[in-house]
Amino acid sequence: MLETLLPILIFAALGLAVIGAWRRVRLWRQGRPSAVPLLKGLAAMPRRYLVDLHHVVGRDKVMSNTHVATAGGFVAAAVLMILVHGFGLAQGVLGWLLLAASAVMFVGSRFVARRRRNPPARLSKGPWMRLPKSLAAFSLGVFLITLPTVGLLPADFGHWLLALVLAAVVVWGLGEMVFGMTWGGPMKHAFAGALHLAFHRRAERFGEGNRSTGLKALNLDDEAAPLGVEKPADFTWNQLLGFDACVQCGRCEAVCPAFAAGQPLNPKKLIQDMVVGLAGGSDANYAGSPYPGKPVGEHVGSPHGPIVAREGKALVDAETLWSCTTCRACVEECPMMIEHVDAIVDMRRHLTLERGQTPNKGAEVLDNLIATDNPGGFDPGSRLHWAADLNLPLMADVKQAEVLLWLGDGAFDMRNQRTLRALVKVLRAAEVEFAVLGTEERDSGDVARRLGDEATFQSLAKRNIATLAKYRFQRIVTCDPHSFHVLGNEYGELGGPDFNANWEVRHHSTFIAELYDAGRLAFAPWKGGRVTYHDPCYLGRYNGEYEAPRNVLKALGIEVKEMERSGFRSRCCGGGGGAPITDIPGERRIPDMRMNDVKESGAELVAVGCPQCTAMLEGVVDAAAEVRDIAELVADALVARAAPEAVDASRRNAGKTAEEVI
Amino acid sequence: MRPEQQGIEVAVLVSVGRHPITGRARRADQDARGLEMALGLEHQLPGSRVSLLHAGPRSEEGEAALRGYLGMGLDTLTLLEQAEGSDAIPALAEHLAAAPPQLVITGARAERGEGSGLLPYALAERLGWPLVNGLAAVEKVENGVATLLQALPRGQRRRLKVRLPAIVSVDAAAPVARQSAFGPARRAELAATAVSAEPDRELAEWQLAPARKRPKRLKIVKAASARDRFKAAAAKAEGGSGQVLEGVSAEQGAEAILKLLNEEGVLR
Repeated sequence: MLETLLPILIFAALGLAVIGAWRRVRLWRQGRPSAVPLLKGLAAMPRRYLVDLHHVVGRDKVMSNTHVATAGGFVAAAVLMILVHGFGLAQGVLGWLLLAASAVMFVGSRFVARRRRNPPARLSKGPWMRLPKSLAAFSLGVFLITLPTVGLLPADFGHWLLALVLAAVVVWGLGEMVFGMTWGGPMKHAFAGALHLAFHRRAERFGEGNRSTGLKALNLDDEAAPLGVEKPADFTWNQLLGFDACVQCGRCEAVCPAFAAGQPLNPKKLIQDMVVGLAGGSDANYAGSPYPGKPVGEHVGSPHGPIVAREGKALVDAETLWSCTTCRACVEECPMMIEHVDAIVDMRRHLTLERGQTPNKGAEVLDNLIATDNPGGFDPGSRLHWAADLNLPLMADVKQAEVLLWLGDGAFDMRNQRTLRALVKVLRAAEVEFAVLGTEERDSGDVARRLGDEATFQSLAKRNIATLAKYRFQRIVTCDPHSFHVLGNEYGELGGPDFNANWEVRHHSTFIAELYDAGRLAFAPWKGGRVTYHDPCYLGRYNGEYEAPRNVLKALGIEVKEMERSGFRSRCCGGGGGAPITDIPGERRIPDMRMNDVKESGAELVAVGCPQCTAMLEGVVDAAAEVRDIAELVADALVARAAPEAVDASRRNAGKTAEEVI
Repeated sequence: MRPEQQGIEVAVLVSVGRHPITGRARRADQDARGLEMALGLEHQLPGSRVSLLHAGPRSEEGEAALRGYLGMGLDTLTLLEQAEGSDAIPALAEHLAAAPPQLVITGARAERGEGSGLLPYALAERLGWPLVNGLAAVEKVENGVATLLQALPRGQRRRLKVRLPAIVSVDAAAPVARQSAFGPARRAELAATAVSAEPDRELAEWQLAPARKRPKRLKIVKAASARDRFKAAAAKAEGGSGQVLEGVSAEQGAEAILKLLNEEGVLR
């Protein structure tokens, strides 16, 4: 009986899956066009899955092995099942392979079940709780129906009742694993995820050591193009596909600083809300952690309805979008390579450019950027006042230099001026030929862009690009990772192909490390206490620079006491993405949590490399540790270099400091 | 019977502003506050219509600044196009008289040009309409009479009833202008109509020089204790030697003013 029933069941499930797939594809196609090479993407997909995706999944070894067993077993079992039971190709080794594959999958499903016994808060419950049972049903059912096929059991084994029960188990398994894959069950992640990897909007992020972190520019010349994303259908189709690929593993939720601070943002819920939006409906069926302080079930959306309501509630509340610090911790952790920050900035663009609803100080900061080219509304002519006594060479005078020192808006901030003065002292000690743009420099546009004001960003960027094109230099050095990121990763799209052909951008920690390696700097031994290092998001996750700052600290004789969350898992200081400007209330402050991390590391001093981080961490009341920029630590430790031809003389001069500029 | 509360026509006069630090053209702060008040009125009195009016030359810089107002949520701005150095008052008066709105809102003082703050007065005189300055809020409009809240120094408010049509001017006491959004500003239309340019003869005779900060009288606090200093800082400015003249003739009033100016050393 089963021999006749099985092919019918298998092909019926496959047929329904194809219909479901077609319907799902139609949902994604509601999005705007996005040019991606389809065949090339499909060809690249297996590698992206096996290497890039599993590199992220592999950070959790147990889960990684579980997934390899379950998913690998399933794919093999499904293909073999179609051959063996669908087409009746039971001869030879195929049946035995099918037995092996379903057995592996069954073992995997037991590990999935174990994890679901006491699931961590970040995991979604609801339909996901039945997944281990469905996996077991599929693998066990396939295993049992294959036993007679390979001759381990007689073909007429058991009662017809047993056959009926077995058929029911197989139907359950097929229903979840094949039908559910395209009709919106938990297994949807496999179908959408595979296509998402193939048609990813940032193909350049795949491959060893590659990253793609710059935001994509809006085409402001095309007046018909929407300014940002108002409704789910305004996303590109492959962004919608990406949202649909989410497995609700909640790794993003676990690392999100805004979620931890009790601000109304949960990256996982946001992505699920986008899925609700693309399919239409309410978020009532969401079974994970809600946005802090916002009960589930009150928001509804549709593909062509607004995401943020002008009045009342729609799919997402505006403060959810404004809570994000754009720290990219979620993107870094996402095993499905979903781009949360892109989506958030897209929606912010609509709120700022179309509605003029940048909250709190947002409007004031943007007006200042438009009128004075800096967010604080300071006189642009006073950009160099902090250096009145330093006699800095101006690019306008010298026209070319080895290094262009990019000051950033920290030039107006008295705390950051200390860092800048320290950096100048270091550059002079190493006899670097450098110059500054002075009053010709403008804000890089970082904050405007993250607040969604693409127009102001592009206006600032184009003027800065024109200024940079006037002068000749080999590298730009800056102590501001935000400027570093924007100059290095975001101006290129606007500046044309030759824009940065002749120079590169360096963070000051990288440049100081190079100077030290070249023997141009010498340091007195470290006498202070225990030190930890806080990785700025825009240096680390955005640009992959984790080593240089640590090398500089090592050169200073400091042994870094790492915090629990450091390197690519560093926790944000709360200062990125305009978050201090939009200032969405939460239960805790993000910098307080970070300073607590510092305290737990036992350090008395935290070394930083970013003016925002300095400001945020120094703003912590009753802090356990002092906050110093790497440039300041280096400047304090400077001693005269030993001249190569006079090693003896160096001993006498060992205590003498370099030329004092502070 | 419910009082008749219905929508009104509001015209907002806007100018090209000037940023105090960089001197770049922008939407003028007071005019933007005026528009904000008008948009609030549109919300408060359903059926109201807000129109924007600017008289002046058309330039790229000026257009960008005027679009700043449109970005607050309007579709069109009527631009009475004039040559540089023309007098805006006759053009505005003519336009307003042709299709009179019930309420005209304007900033108290322009950020560039003469900036004398006389435009609302000159316009009111020409049109023969009442003028209220320093407006803080429009409370209600009933049967052609508006109840207005006027801002006085030190946070005081005065409630006034004014028969419409009227001109009101706003200063820093009016609500802060909403953010100007790029998209609506770019899409909105500048409806330009050329008007007869009447050259501003008086302006042509003027000599313009960069403004200097006016000298300020030093406040000398003779307080011995912190308490006294605090009291002095928080105290209401007492017009110590001031006097209220009531029922005096114009000559007597003028004489009193002249005397005061001489005493204060303004006239020498």
